[in-house]
This record gives sequence, structure tokens and C-alpha cells, in this order.
Amino acid sequence: MNLVSLCFPCILAYTPFVDPLPVWDVWYLTLVPLTVGIAVVYKAVKCNEVSQIPKQAAVISLYILGGLLGAALGLWAVVSWIS
Amino acid sequence: MPEPKTVSSVPPPLVALAGWVVPGAGYFLIGHKTRALVVLVTIMLLFLGGMLIGGVRVVDAPNLRGSGSIGYEIAQKPWFIGQVLAGPISLVGAAVSRHFPASHARVFEIGTLYTAVAGMLNLMALIDSAHRAARGDVR
Repeated sequence: MNLVSLCFPCILAYTPFVDPLPVWDVWYLTLVPLTVGIAVVYKAVKCNEVSQIPKQAAVISLYILGGLLGAALGLWAVVSWIS
Repeated sequence: MPEPKTVSSVPPPLVALAGWVVPGAGYFLIGHKTRALVVLVTIMLLFLGGMLIGGVRVVDAPNLRGSGSIGYEIAQKPWFIGQVLAGPISLVGAAVSRHFPASHARVFEIGTLYTAVAGMLNLMALIDSAHRAARGDVR
């Protein structure tokens, strides 16, 4: 057993594209690249000028993430109030 | 006086087909090269990102030779309808994924969501590229 496998047994056990990414505790962060991807393709389709895509995609990404955060906070408040 | 629009020499169905084979290729055929690159990179990143998060097994094709009818088998794996819209990469992924165990729970769902969203975004892009070809929005 070499030094690397002693120090990083979890990393060596992980095989990309075969094993799932260990993001169980921070799964909500995966929403960010998904949101950005949706916004970029949506704006690539909608914008007549390609130069507008980055700015408009950034704006719509913030809107979507803000909406998701608002919905999460609203649901958290309702659940807290009920329980 | 606005310039008259040129009519695309590429038939819209061919543009749509190219957009399925390689995401963004429909835009490339009608001269929207930067838009094609943006669509290609984003859709590939989403699709590969989904397979990275949930494992390649998130791309799971229905067994059309199964005991049920074709409609029944497809209804058992409805996410594949979205995934296959991302192009042949989904078919390759489905062929490869049969040899690996499936992941479970939330990461599997997130990976499935990523890959299916990538396919549905590609559907939107290929419809738009074919529409632009039909109306002569060629560069």
C-alpha cells in the first residue's frame, strides 16, 4: 500500500462516472450549475445578439436562484409554523 | 431600407437532425457559429455533469425487448425520453451503463435531472435552429 492510498483512501475508491459524486451533504449546490446551464441555453436561443447572452444569462440565473431560495424559505416557514 | 433576408440553402429538417446528432450543429450549419459553440459546450457539460454526479447508470434506456408492450416499457423509464434528445451520446451512455451498478437516492435523481434537462434544452435549440433556417436567419 503506497502513501497516497494511506492518505486518501476515499479518493482512490472513487471512480468518476461509475461511482456517484459524493455530494450528499451539499446536494443543493448542484442546483447552481444546472440553473446556469438552463439560463445560458435559454438565452442562446432567445437573444438575437450573441454578445447579450452572458449578461442576460447571469440575470436570469439570479432570478431563478432567488425564486428557489424564496420558495425554500417560504416552505421552511410554513413547516416550522405547522410543527 | 432593411436588407432582404437570404433563404437558407440548408433544409430545416436537416438542420434539426444535425442539432440532434451534435448539439449546436444546427446553428453551425446556418452560420451562427458562436451560438452553436455556446449550445454545444453547455449541453455537453450538463449531460456529462449529470453522469458525473449520479454515475453513468443515470442514463437508463427502456428494455424494448421486455415482456411488456413498447409503451409500457417506455413508461417505466420516462426520463430516457428527455435524455435521448441530447443526441447519440445518450445512446452510447445507455449502452455503457448496463455494465455498471446504479447509484441510489438523491444523487441518482440529480444526475437523471441533469441529463434529461440537457436533452430538453437541446430540443429547444434544435427547434430554434430549424425555425431560423426556415425563416432565412442565415449568416
